[in-house]
Amino acid sequence: MAPILLWLILVLCLLISAVKYLMGIILKFSFASTKAQKDYGYQPTVSVLMPCYNEGKTVYETIESISKSNYPNDKFEVIAQDDCSGDDSYDWMLKAQRDFTNIRVRLGRNEVNSGKARSVCNALQHSTAEIIISIDSDCVFHPDAIRELTACFAEPGIGSVGGRVGVRNPNDSVITAIQTVIYYSAFQLYKIPENWTRSICCISGCLFAIRRRLLLEIEPAIRSRNWFGIPVNQGEDRFLTHQTLLRGYGTYINNDALCWTTVPNTLPVLFKQQLRWRRSIVRDFFFTLRTLPQHVWKLHPNTVFTLVLTPLGAVVGFLVVVTMLTSDPLAWAGPVPLITALGVGAVLTWVIKKYSAKEAVAHPLAFGAYIAWSLVSSLFLTPLALCTMDSADWGTRAKPQEVPLGNAKR
Amino acid sequence: MATPSVNPPLSETKGDSLPPEHQSVPVRQSLHYKLVITLYRVFAITVLYLVLAGIVGYAFVMGFYAVNSSWAAPIILSAADEKSLNFREKLVTSQQTIEDLKVDTKKLEIGLAEMKKHRASLLALEPELQQAIVRERSHNRTTGPELAELDQQKQADNLKTQKVLAQLTQVESNINKDLASGLITQGDAATQLAALNQAKGTYTDSKIAEVLLTDNVLDKTTTGTNSLDVLVKQAELRSEVAQLDVAINVAEKQLQEESRQVDRLRQAIQTAKQSPYYLNASGEKTLYFAFVPYDNQASAAAGSSIYDCYLNMIACRKVGMLKQTFAGEETAIHPIFKTQIRGFLVQMNLDHVESAKSKTVFLGRKPMLF
Repeated sequence: MAPILLWLILVLCLLISAVKYLMGIILKFSFASTKAQKDYGYQPTVSVLMPCYNEGKTVYETIESISKSNYPNDKFEVIAQDDCSGDDSYDWMLKAQRDFTNIRVRLGRNEVNSGKARSVCNALQHSTAEIIISIDSDCVFHPDAIRELTACFAEPGIGSVGGRVGVRNPNDSVITAIQTVIYYSAFQLYKIPENWTRSICCISGCLFAIRRRLLLEIEPAIRSRNWFGIPVNQGEDRFLTHQTLLRGYGTYINNDALCWTTVPNTLPVLFKQQLRWRRSIVRDFFFTLRTLPQHVWKLHPNTVFTLVLTPLGAVVGFLVVVTMLTSDPLAWAGPVPLITALGVGAVLTWVIKKYSAKEAVAHPLAFGAYIAWSLVSSLFLTPLALCTMDSADWGTRAKPQEVPLGNAKR
Repeated sequence: MATPSVNPPLSETKGDSLPPEHQSVPVRQSLHYKLVITLYRVFAITVLYLVLAGIVGYAFVMGFYAVNSSWAAPIILSAADEKSLNFREKLVTSQQTIEDLKVDTKKLEIGLAEMKKHRASLLALEPELQQAIVRERSHNRTTGPELAELDQQKQADNLKTQKVLAQLTQVESNINKDLASGLITQGDAATQLAALNQAKGTYTDSKIAEVLLTDNVLDKTTTGTNSLDVLVKQAELRSEVAQLDVAINVAEKQLQEESRQVDRLRQAIQTAKQSPYYLNASGEKTLYFAFVPYDNQASAAAGSSIYDCYLNMIACRKVGMLKQTFAGEETAIHPIFKTQIRGFLVQMNLDHVESAKSKTVFLGRKPMLF
């Protein structure tokens, strides 16, 4: 029984990672339909919603980068929603409002700390635009980001469009170097097969565009998200993407719509961020399983496959690591895995340097450290996520106060 | 991050400021949900502590076995153990080979003795033959010339006799004429003719004697076929002796080689009898062995105490003594790291036989002082 289980796990891992990455390479270079038909003449009105919590001056820089967008100024606005920041974030927002008069900047403030998802919903109430773009307040955006995102909505059936998230600080440390490689390969390879079927399963919350009427339709579900009565404030991007798909719309990532985020540069912060993401994955998995027939009936098989196997991969990763550590603990430290990891790392680093010089990683051997990190994360994150589903802690910010379910509901 | 120094205090632009979000009435958690959450939290905390304990324990075990140099891994060798059976099979084969070699050696020794005896008898013939040849040659040298002289004399005599016999034909004719003329009686004539025939016969005998004598002289004075036969016999005798020498030499070498092989096999068997697999296969009592990696060799001295511990490292108790170590190299899988390692086997005298089933035991002292 045990060998069969082990084989199943290995096959599953192969399907999840190797197959998707390989498909990504093939599709990227061979199928034109992988890319959406963009119409730059289509210029709907846009509200850029920017929830903010304890970002300080960064929020100013974010609005500044948005203000430089190559998009008609009269067709977009920024709605910044402060989620009761304990620092001077709101002052910076006000300053940005004053300084960047070329665009319309509107500011809002929650009465109590409500979390990102509800802040977005609150900001949404003030928007009348056709397209909503939700962004992270710690990102910097390419001037073409809005133009690129809206151009994709010309394709009928597209409900949500995401942009590519690059790393602003690739060479802060080995940890940021690792994340740069992961971000790059995720957007440029892993998500490509999903793009092909217009069924991206998770559009990054850093740069998330959605039709307003669709978001309004989903909003009640966002506000009422809870886990046995405990409000869920995390993983709104995954939830929104999932809901978009379930409502029969397509999702897409336009890798030409760029934004740059500052990734965690210390292990504890990275761990907390990854834990939050893992929790979202697990939560999404449970939701998928609970409504599996609905998924199978409504969604593209590739989508169902991804929605089931990706989170399962997290659980499988845990089983693989436990199996490996108990049966052959030093196998991962052998020369073959190490050389393979370093080889893959070196290739990806070269590719990044060639095609995205801004993200060029100065530590090509950092990918080797990623193997150690993935072992640790696989071992800790999944059980920890499974056991802390009741947590509302964002992890990478100062501890927010918990809002009872529905508190932020208007 | 510092607040910007410009335009303090910052204020909202009235037209673009949004009304604050008001708190709505919180939805109360149902009792059912509260119970679920409470149970979940208890379960989660328990699981997390267990996972944490597992991980810490695992890391500690890994670290412990990375630095510990006194552990050994007990091995239970059953009588039906494949290695033991193979070992025993090879041992039996070796012993059988020794027995076969002994029989061969015995046969060779007997054959060799026979060959040596035959060779000695052949060698004994050689001087006698040589002596006979010399004696014969010496005799021939003496009698040969005498016979040659007699032969010549005989030839001369016969020649004279031949001349006389030529006259006898006239005499015979005269007798016949005298008989016809009645000068002599028939009886006288017959007597006279008989005398003539006798003379002729005597001449013929003499001629035969001459030929025989010539022949005899030839034998005595030249090397004839008889002499050659003798020489051939002599050569055959020597050849047979030489062949025997070769055969004896080969047999002696074969004997030596087989003796050495027997010695080697005996030595190998002797060494094999010191192997744990032989002891295991041949002994009636159950024996206990353990694998000791080379890194821990210093701890594996005969007479050392053996300790068995709970969780492979703590709460140890003495379970026996190390009886002996075996020199042969063995490879085994590390009980914790699962890598292949080199080492050797030791035999344990266990007071607590269940310790033979432990994953590891410790030699010399307790690994953690308790």
